[in-house]
Amino acid sequence: MKMALLSSSSSTPTQLPTLSPPCCKSHHLTHKTYLVNLPLTKSRNTHLSIFPVKVSASDNGAGVVTSTAAVTESEEKVLETPSEDKASSNSSPPKSEKNEEDVTPVKAAEEMVNKFQNSKWVNGSWDLKQFQKNGATDWDAVIDAEARRRKWLETNPESTNNDEPVNFDTSIIPWWAWIKRFHLPEAELLNGRAAMIGFFMAYFVDSLTGLGVVDQTNNFICKTLLFVAVLGVLFIRKNEDLDNLKRLLEETTLYDKQWQATWQDENNTKSKKD
Amino acid sequence: MASSMAFKPFTGLRQSTPSTTTETTIFIKPPTSIKISPKIKAGLTSPKVTGRNLRVAVIGGGPAGGAAAETLAKGGIETFLIERKLNNCKPCGGAIPLCMVGEFDLPVDIIDRRVTKMKMISPSNVAVDIGQTLKPHEYIGMVRREVLDAYLRDRAADSGATVINGLFLKMESPLVGDAPYKLHYTAYDSKTGASGEKRTLEVDAVIGADGANSRVAKSISAGDYEYAIAFQERIRIPDTKMNYYENLAEMYVGDDVSPDFYGWVFPKSDHVAVGTGTVTHKSDIKKFQLATRTRAMDKIEGGKIIRVEAHPIPEHPRPRRVLGRVALVGDAAGYVTKCSGEGIYFAAKSGRMCAEAIVEGSENGKRLVDEADLRKYLEKWDKKYWPTYKVLDVLQKVFYRSNPAREAFVEMCADEYVQKMTFDSYLYKTVVPGNPLDDLKLAVRTVGSLVRAYGIRREMAKIDA
Repeated sequence: MKMALLSSSSSTPTQLPTLSPPCCKSHHLTHKTYLVNLPLTKSRNTHLSIFPVKVSASDNGAGVVTSTAAVTESEEKVLETPSEDKASSNSSPPKSEKNEEDVTPVKAAEEMVNKFQNSKWVNGSWDLKQFQKNGATDWDAVIDAEARRRKWLETNPESTNNDEPVNFDTSIIPWWAWIKRFHLPEAELLNGRAAMIGFFMAYFVDSLTGLGVVDQTNNFICKTLLFVAVLGVLFIRKNEDLDNLKRLLEETTLYDKQWQATWQDENNTKSKKD
Repeated sequence: MASSMAFKPFTGLRQSTPSTTTETTIFIKPPTSIKISPKIKAGLTSPKVTGRNLRVAVIGGGPAGGAAAETLAKGGIETFLIERKLNNCKPCGGAIPLCMVGEFDLPVDIIDRRVTKMKMISPSNVAVDIGQTLKPHEYIGMVRREVLDAYLRDRAADSGATVINGLFLKMESPLVGDAPYKLHYTAYDSKTGASGEKRTLEVDAVIGADGANSRVAKSISAGDYEYAIAFQERIRIPDTKMNYYENLAEMYVGDDVSPDFYGWVFPKSDHVAVGTGTVTHKSDIKKFQLATRTRAMDKIEGGKIIRVEAHPIPEHPRPRRVLGRVALVGDAAGYVTKCSGEGIYFAAKSGRMCAEAIVEGSENGKRLVDEADLRKYLEKWDKKYWPTYKVLDVLQKVFYRSNPAREAFVEMCADEYVQKMTFDSYLYKTVVPGNPLDDLKLAVRTVGSLVRAYGIRREMAKIDA
């Protein structure tokens, strides 16, 4: 998995830590695992021990730390708790601030600030001219690039800036590119499943009732079963989907029930009075 | 500032330049729609109150309490408004829709800022400006709660209500049908000193307007609701940065900022309020606040935090809003919309509606009211505002679900038709059905946006896998 990561990231020009010198490959790997484990709060703690070393090592990392410190020092604290949050001391700083310090040292080789940078990302949008392949725009590459940008921002949220506003709109990618990329493979999968189920059900029903395929399609019960099978294949793809659908249905009516609650109460009190 | 407000005439202070007067008459509802209807049913069977007017206590002096007390006093009812802290600086976003200014005759100087532009910022920092469809006289008013609350209370006092500085403790329900409610409260005035003095008050009906942690609600066992925690820091930023927020508010969406709500930067009188909220992950609120600050960092860097505040926000109405001759209004009842978390207008409006129902049911204070009269207010309220609440609930369920949904949400906000519909329904509090063909096109575009965003998320999942 990690090898695939390395090869894929080295082939793209995005500034994920691929540009760090080869000697850093070892903790490039650990950094990548750190990013992967980011959503899990437990494993985050185990990696914290590695990073304080890096913070002191690189000048650029220190530069970022001082800039965040400047912001914190200039803020007067009214209550005690905010000051705890913003103290950038070495002893157990809060998780989210540690994030910035942890990630920056790796990025420090390329950028002082851990912002998203890409040669194809121009003026807050993807420069389509750079995505040309064989004379036409390679929409798949645009979709990939945007996915990587969003993934990057999920793990390294950055400030919005008025001088560099982001105004990329996914609708510039034509509808057929989306269908080709997302709909067709899934449609193939689902139709395949439906065909397999259909073939064996047709055989099965024929062996039980003697109705051939033509007679089955004329039969009302068979048509109903066909309808149920189609809906099933469409909506239920994993076992969890059954529960999800039930929960969704409850969710749509929950708010209505909460509003009606006071009227149920009225009926109760009325019946009690009688 | 508050005292100067009390002496200002509160008529004719609406926005009325010659070019806009015609438009104001169109959207400001004519007074007849809020007048008492001629059909009076329940009051006829209630006993007459002899020798005195009906006594009603309003617990809580915020927008709901102030509006209720004013309407009651004007309707000839002996009104007592009990507020525990007359200079309370309520933590609040502070946004009021345009229709509130007209409906409640608010003077122009109550509004610190007029927000005419909003920026919606997606999880991947795609920024969309909304507000181009607003007409020149339309805006979202930003107020300071202490100013607004004091103004409404003073107006209630001017109409004849008795404002009592006291903390409501408990309420004794009547044992016999027509007996009064006995309220126990701690009064604070110049004679009692800091610790206050326990007093009692007998009234015929009670309006609970005491907010999210309502004691009146507890005494009628109204039940609980789910609530969000809204956390906000008031930050004073340098003037050059403040210029950017002159009449612009920002909304940040994203999992980092809040899993089920949004983070905001709202301009106030001379500082900005940066905050966020959540229902499901309340313990992580500080983390979300830090993320909100990170996202706005370039624009608030160098600022000083002058105040940190937090408050619960109800997510849906309490199971019971009326019991006997006690009714809940405002946050105490749970009238905060989903998706936008708006509560000031609905608090004031519900206070007014409840008071109107009492005035009508008691024939201007001559008869005793009963539960049926109060339920009329509930009926009217539910009928009038249910579509608004439901639509916002659906929007929240669809668009605040996950990061792809939020990306689609921000993309849809770029559309002019969406902006027009959103602002029309927000500013005037009516769900306006648009052109069906446009609605269909909008639906198709929404589905398209959602499909694209979820498709990209599937690609994102493949990157690490």
